[in-house]
Amino acid sequence: MSQSIGKSIYRKEALEKVTGKAKYTDDYPAAGTLHVKLAVSPYAHARIIAIDTSKAGEVPGVRAILLGQPFPLTGEEIKDRPPLAFERVRYHGEPVAAVVADTPHQAKRAAELIAVTYEPLPVINSPREALQPDAVLIHENLETYEKIEHVYPEAKTNIADRTKIRKGNMEQGWTESDVTLEASFSLSPSDHIAMETRCVTAEIRPDGFVVFSSSTQSPYMIMELMSRYFQLEKGKIIVNTPFVGGGYGGKVAVQLELIAYLATLAVGGRPVKLLNTREEDMITSPVHIGLDADIKLGATQEGKLKVAQITYLFDTGAYSDKGVTISRAAAITCTGPYQLENIWCDSLCVYTNHPYATAYRGFSHAELLFVFERAMDMLAKKLNIDPLELRRINAFLPGATTPTQIRLNESTVGNLPQCIDRLKQLMNWKEGQVTQVNGRKIRVKGVSCIWKTSTIDTEASSGVVLTFNVDGSVNILSGIVEIGTGTKTILAQLLAEKLKMDIKKIHVKMEVDTQTTPKHWKTVASRGTLMAGRALLKAADDAVVQLKDTASRVLMCSPDDLEVANDMIYVRDEPDTFIHVKDVCHGYKYPSGHSIGGQVIGRGNYILRHLTHIDHETGAGRPGPEYTVGAQGVEVEFDTKEFTYKVLKAFAVIDIGKVLNKKAAEGQVMGAMSMGLNFGSSETFVVSDDGIILNPRLRTYVPFRYGDHPEYLVHFLETPHIDGPFGARGVGEHGLIGMPAALANSLSIASGVELTMLPLTPESIWKETGGG
Amino acid sequence: MLSFDFEYYKPASIDEAVQLFQSLDRQGKNPSYISGGTELITLGRVNKIVTGAVIDIKAIPECLVLEKQGTQLVFGAAQSLTVVREKQFFPLLSKAIVEIADHTARNKITLGGNICANIIYREAVLPLLLTDSTLAVAGLNGLIQYPINDIFQQTLQLDRGEFLVQVITHKQETELPFVCLKKRRQWDVGYPLLTAAALNKNGQIKLAISGLCSFPFRDKRMEYSLNNRSLSMKARIEEAVSRIPAPVLNDVHGSAEYRVFVLENTLQEILAEWEGAGDA
Repeated sequence: MSQSIGKSIYRKEALEKVTGKAKYTDDYPAAGTLHVKLAVSPYAHARIIAIDTSKAGEVPGVRAILLGQPFPLTGEEIKDRPPLAFERVRYHGEPVAAVVADTPHQAKRAAELIAVTYEPLPVINSPREALQPDAVLIHENLETYEKIEHVYPEAKTNIADRTKIRKGNMEQGWTESDVTLEASFSLSPSDHIAMETRCVTAEIRPDGFVVFSSSTQSPYMIMELMSRYFQLEKGKIIVNTPFVGGGYGGKVAVQLELIAYLATLAVGGRPVKLLNTREEDMITSPVHIGLDADIKLGATQEGKLKVAQITYLFDTGAYSDKGVTISRAAAITCTGPYQLENIWCDSLCVYTNHPYATAYRGFSHAELLFVFERAMDMLAKKLNIDPLELRRINAFLPGATTPTQIRLNESTVGNLPQCIDRLKQLMNWKEGQVTQVNGRKIRVKGVSCIWKTSTIDTEASSGVVLTFNVDGSVNILSGIVEIGTGTKTILAQLLAEKLKMDIKKIHVKMEVDTQTTPKHWKTVASRGTLMAGRALLKAADDAVVQLKDTASRVLMCSPDDLEVANDMIYVRDEPDTFIHVKDVCHGYKYPSGHSIGGQVIGRGNYILRHLTHIDHETGAGRPGPEYTVGAQGVEVEFDTKEFTYKVLKAFAVIDIGKVLNKKAAEGQVMGAMSMGLNFGSSETFVVSDDGIILNPRLRTYVPFRYGDHPEYLVHFLETPHIDGPFGARGVGEHGLIGMPAALANSLSIASGVELTMLPLTPESIWKETGGG
Repeated sequence: MLSFDFEYYKPASIDEAVQLFQSLDRQGKNPSYISGGTELITLGRVNKIVTGAVIDIKAIPECLVLEKQGTQLVFGAAQSLTVVREKQFFPLLSKAIVEIADHTARNKITLGGNICANIIYREAVLPLLLTDSTLAVAGLNGLIQYPINDIFQQTLQLDRGEFLVQVITHKQETELPFVCLKKRRQWDVGYPLLTAAALNKNGQIKLAISGLCSFPFRDKRMEYSLNNRSLSMKARIEEAVSRIPAPVLNDVHGSAEYRVFVLENTLQEILAEWEGAGDA
């Protein structure tokens, strides 16, 4: 019987959070801290002619005013972005100046008094516009920027990167196809809307250490990038990260830290704090990427997919930071979870004058699946095949190869056909997709399949240290940031299972301090459980060896004869011969006073195996470990007269390998589904012709409120990922990624029009059906 | 966070408030009356409201009255929307209120604050326009009552230094059959594409609308069209729509064309409530 695995154990931080006592970056007391306020651009694209700071400088308490400099330029793959705009602003909301003052009020007042003279420039409002031959260049000197090896900006264009997938023989694919389908889709940028807006503090200590506290998903990346951009000694950078109030990818980017560092530098190293307002968090800090796409599919009359030709034009906004990585990830899984021998895909990362993009839960997959899964439904209609049957016919099976030409097996990809079958049962598919409710209203079902791997750095690693307290309880130290996913509780469950001990005696250090906490690459990409979980199991093995070593000498037997369980180390076939863990975990003391052993420190690490960069010409390579697959659906009630609708039910069947904590997994999936439905149905930036974001606040940018949610039905399959801890697969993002497509598919059936844009508001449906 | 400094006063009487305003105004402090204070925070933080002194009317007894007085209902301007709604004196007003903002905000937003708001919707006005309510306004000349349909023209037409003290509505008007429909861009919380409130008095439909134009209004010509039973239902609606008194809004919530589409559907719903589906 399982000690802990699969049980719905409360999160270790639950009491802190439900009592409101949990502390986030902005909650820590800040005696002597100065405050930073940004002045941001009111234009989407303009030349900075002059900046007058004289009035701002007169505000009492102002210590420094920072303006943009030509260097350093920053960016994870291409260094194209000054931390504060220099000579030119490229998006609405871009930081232009930073004021450091004694109080937040003084900083704000001074920032409001900075007078900037701009000369507006032509604005590029979509990737398609950016690719027009006469389009204005957002980065005129793109070719001069420093960059990493595996990114390919195209000089004198607005293309920051192009990822190519070339698999099979396209000509043959078209020849073998009886039917083809072509469509175009698009969606605008939007935002993450984490409850906690981004916040950072920074100081330079007298000993030269640069110390940050940041609401970030990537504290170790801050060390790396600060060192890269400012030539700081890595060992002398310390990043503290307490609880993070939601990341969703938005807190992967390193942005405010750069400004905070420049600010503390300007005031002699004194501590400074920079806290985003909601508006700044929505547009000044990086956002959820937009997309324009063209797709053409070929299939036989029987519904067998033969060929796919896809162009993804990702709207990275003004800077390329994570946009290049996102557009590359989209190429890697460009088709959705189907067997396809012939694939041509160009995935472009395109500059526009929008706020710049960063990771968003799903990392391009919700976007690409919206395109591919809409096309699958359109194809099903054309072929007159049931949409789930078409997906089942083409389902990716073990033994097939991915778009990057990697052959997957039962462990590296889950069981998609079974997910589809289970979804059919849950949705009562045989009832039919459309049910008449009354003269005006119909209930309509729509579906989408999903898959996702995590394309992460090939050298990404995770470390775990276990220390023991004298009462035999254990502390887990891991660089995972607790962003709300409950991963640190999962680690405690894994350890409870492994050491067969009560989880109440396992304590998890929630805060991360890069100086003392072993590194976890980044808390992203649904990789926490796999990487930190594996590191933890190794650390547990290491601790067990040490416990057994000391115990074997006390019990006078071979360590091989010993077992650890229930706070004891005992002889396997004579359990009455035992010693308590607490009596050996800090060394064993004989009655004579002689002591042996010493304190037990378990250490473990994990590095992803056999990952490669992909080939620039063909995309061939192994960019991610395992794939999670699933099938999702929605049932909506649609008003055929007004085009309004309610999402009644949302379904997800996901093969997550092994359910480690049932309620936590369901919570992750439901939360992700709600995000996906929001982004599919409502969330978007409304952008004016001149690139101004018209709704950068929650009054006018509308996610679900309490009471707007549908009923969520979540079901798990358990096809083990042999490499994962107890067979688990990643599940942090997957609930999201099929939702926009499933919603769009249901509403396309309901409205009788092939919907091609997100979000799907009643007005957008009305327009696509020919209204207005 | 507000970056400007301001003084805060909380007078205990109408007279004190009026005098305070005059003296602060003479000192050049550009004073403002506040009640719930929500707009001071939400618009003040972006400097769309800037004031040197605020006069909080929540301690003035007359502003807190909430009772039936004979044939009349009296609502103090400083009562929160939540309290006004929960009293359930005036079902149409309660319905209009429950769709404004969210519960937490309604605990702060007051009836007077919503009527005098900078925000363009001011939906609490709609039921008052339809019931020909009376507004009691304090100023240098004392407390004076005005019919709302005279004094509310796009916004409440107050002279400098005046403030709204009470809303007075005839009880029998609040017992008439009504419809109040709020249509949003998406989902059930937030600003309207439009809110339409209608009252049926002896077969005559009265109609007031918010969110369609940049101010809430009750338009007699639109009402005439809706009540013109010599025309088909469709024609009545078409004529009413042709008489919208100002440009239709075109903003982040919806385009002008879409708002008109929504208005047509909404008017159909209203007519259907009292006349059946008809020929529309």
